[in-house]
Amino acid sequence: MRYERHPVTQTWRRATRQSVMRLLWYGAAGFGLLFIFVPVLWAVASSFRPLEEIFRDVSPFSLRAFVPSQPTLEAYRAIFAKGYGRALFNSLYVTTITIGLGILVNSMAGFVFAKLIFPFQRLVFVVVLLASMIPFEAIAIPLYALAQGLNWLDSYTVLIVPALANGLVVFLFRQFFAEIPTELIEAALIDGASWWRIYSRIFLPLSKPAIISGALILFLFQWNAFLWPLVAAPKKQYHVIQVAIANLQIEYQVLWNEQFAASFIGAVIPVAIVLCFQRYYIRGIAGTGLKG
Amino acid sequence: MMRRASVAYAFLLPALLGLILFRIYPIAVSFLKSFYVRSFITKREVFVGLEGYQALFQDPIFWKSAWVTVLFNFVVNPVQMVAALGLALFLSVQVRGIHAFRSLYMLPIGISLPVAAVVWGVVLNPNSGLLNSLLALVGVPAQRFLTSPSQALWSIVLIASWKGVSYWMIFLLAGIKGIPETLYEAARIDGANAWQILTRVTIPLLRRVILFVVVADTISNYLLFIPAYLLTRGGPEHATNFLMYEAFKSGFIYLDMNRAVTIVSVLLVFLLLVIAVEFRFLKPQHEV
Repeated sequence: MRYERHPVTQTWRRATRQSVMRLLWYGAAGFGLLFIFVPVLWAVASSFRPLEEIFRDVSPFSLRAFVPSQPTLEAYRAIFAKGYGRALFNSLYVTTITIGLGILVNSMAGFVFAKLIFPFQRLVFVVVLLASMIPFEAIAIPLYALAQGLNWLDSYTVLIVPALANGLVVFLFRQFFAEIPTELIEAALIDGASWWRIYSRIFLPLSKPAIISGALILFLFQWNAFLWPLVAAPKKQYHVIQVAIANLQIEYQVLWNEQFAASFIGAVIPVAIVLCFQRYYIRGIAGTGLKG
Repeated sequence: MMRRASVAYAFLLPALLGLILFRIYPIAVSFLKSFYVRSFITKREVFVGLEGYQALFQDPIFWKSAWVTVLFNFVVNPVQMVAALGLALFLSVQVRGIHAFRSLYMLPIGISLPVAAVVWGVVLNPNSGLLNSLLALVGVPAQRFLTSPSQALWSIVLIASWKGVSYWMIFLLAGIKGIPETLYEAARIDGANAWQILTRVTIPLLRRVILFVVVADTISNYLLFIPAYLLTRGGPEHATNFLMYEAFKSGFIYLDMNRAVTIVSVLLVFLLLVIAVEFRFLKPQHEV
C-alpha cells in the first residue's frame, strides 16, 4: 500500500490512465466517424460503378464495397445526358447572384442597426428578429400564392429574390460593424463624404471576415434549398440541383449509381467550401446564435 | 450612434421589404386564407370562418398525421440534443489531431438533406442495402427499415440525426469553448468529479446556447418534409405522414390550397406553444 502511494508510482499511474483514456478517445472518435463516413464512402465508390455492380460486395459484405473494381464514368455521363448540367448551372447561377445581392442588402441593414438611431428602431429590430426565425419551409406554401400573383413562377427571380433578405446575415453584419469605431464616420462626414460612401468605401472593405461568413450562410441556404424551388419553379428548365437529385430518385427508382453520381456532385462543392472556410462559418452561425 | 432617420430607412429598405414581403406577409396570408374557401364554380374566395378547421379536425388522416409529427418530435429532438451535447463535449478535449476530427465531424453540414436522404435510402434498402449486410455480419436478421410501418419513423429519426447532430454540435462546441478554464480548475480544486463539473458548471453556463439549439432544432424538425417526400411518400400506412408533408400533398397534389394553409396554420400555432413551453423550462434563471 505504502509503495503505491510513492509519488513516482502515482505520476506513472496517472500517466497510464491518461494514455488509456486517450486510446479510448481515439477508438470512440474513429467509431463515430465510421457512422458518418461509411454511407458517404460507399455512395461515392458506387457512383463509379455500372448499375449491375452496385450491390456486389455488399451482401455478403466485404471491404471491396468501397472500391469499384472497374471504375466507370457511365453514371456521370447518363445524368448529364438527362439534363443534370442545366440544373448544375442553375444552382451556380442562382447561388452566385443570391450571395452578391444578399451581402449588399443585408450588410446595409446591419450598418444601420450598428451605427444609426432612427424612429421605431425597436419595432424594426423585432421585425427582423422575428423574420429571421421563420424558416422557409413554413412559408413555402403560402408564399406560392404570392409568387403566383406576381407572375413569378418558373423564373430565376422567384428562386433568388425571396432568399436575399436574411435576418441572420443582418445580425452578423450588425455585430461586426458595431466593433468599428464611430469616429471614422464623424471624420468622414466632416470631410464631406456621403453615407453611401462611408458604408461602401470604409465599412465594407473593413469587413472581409463578415462578408465571408455571410456569403457561406447564404451559399449553404441557397445551394441546399429544396421545398421552395420544388414548388416555385416546376419547369425542368429552372430545376436547381437538389430538385434534379430528387427527381432522379423519384423517376428512376432503381438507377442507384446515377442517384449517387448526382448526389456526389451536389455535395462535393458545399463540403469542400465548408471545409476550407469552416472557421468563418462557425464564427458566423455560432456568433449570431449565441448573442442574437 | 447618430440620428439620421432618412438615411437609416433608405439603407434598411431592401432588407426590410424582403423580410416583410417574403417572411412575415406569407405567414399572415396563411392564417387569413385558412378562413376562406375557393369556390370551384365562381373561382372566387368565399369567407367560411372556422369551417376549414372544423373539417380538418374531423378528418382522421389529419389526426394520424398530427400524431406522427408529435411522436417523431418527441423522440428526435431529445435524441439530437443529447447526442449533439455529447459530441460537443467529446470534441472539446485537447488531443493531438483534434482539429482534423472536428472538421471531419462537421462534414454532414455541407451535405443537403435531399442528398442525405437519397444515400440513406439505398443504405437502408431492405433487400441488399449496406446496413442490412453489416447487420448480417453480427448475426442480426435483415430489417425492413423504411418499408415497415413500425420502423419507418425511426429510420427517419436516424437520417435526420445523421445531419442534425453535426450541425447543432457546432453551436454547443462554440459555447463550451467560451467557458473560461479557471471555472473548471476551481471546481476541480473543490473536489468535484467529472459528472458534477458537467451538471454544475458546464450545463448551467451553456443554458443560453442550449435554449437556442433546442428551439431551433424543434422548429426544423416540426417542419421536416424531405425524407417523407423522397423516401416514404408518407407511408407505409401513413407511418411517416408528417403534417408538413400532408400540407404539401393537399396543396400541390390534390390542389386544395385552403386545406394546405389550414394545416400549416395549425402546425405553426402548435409549434409556437411547444416553443413557449421550452422557453418556460429552459430560460436562464439569472440573465446576465
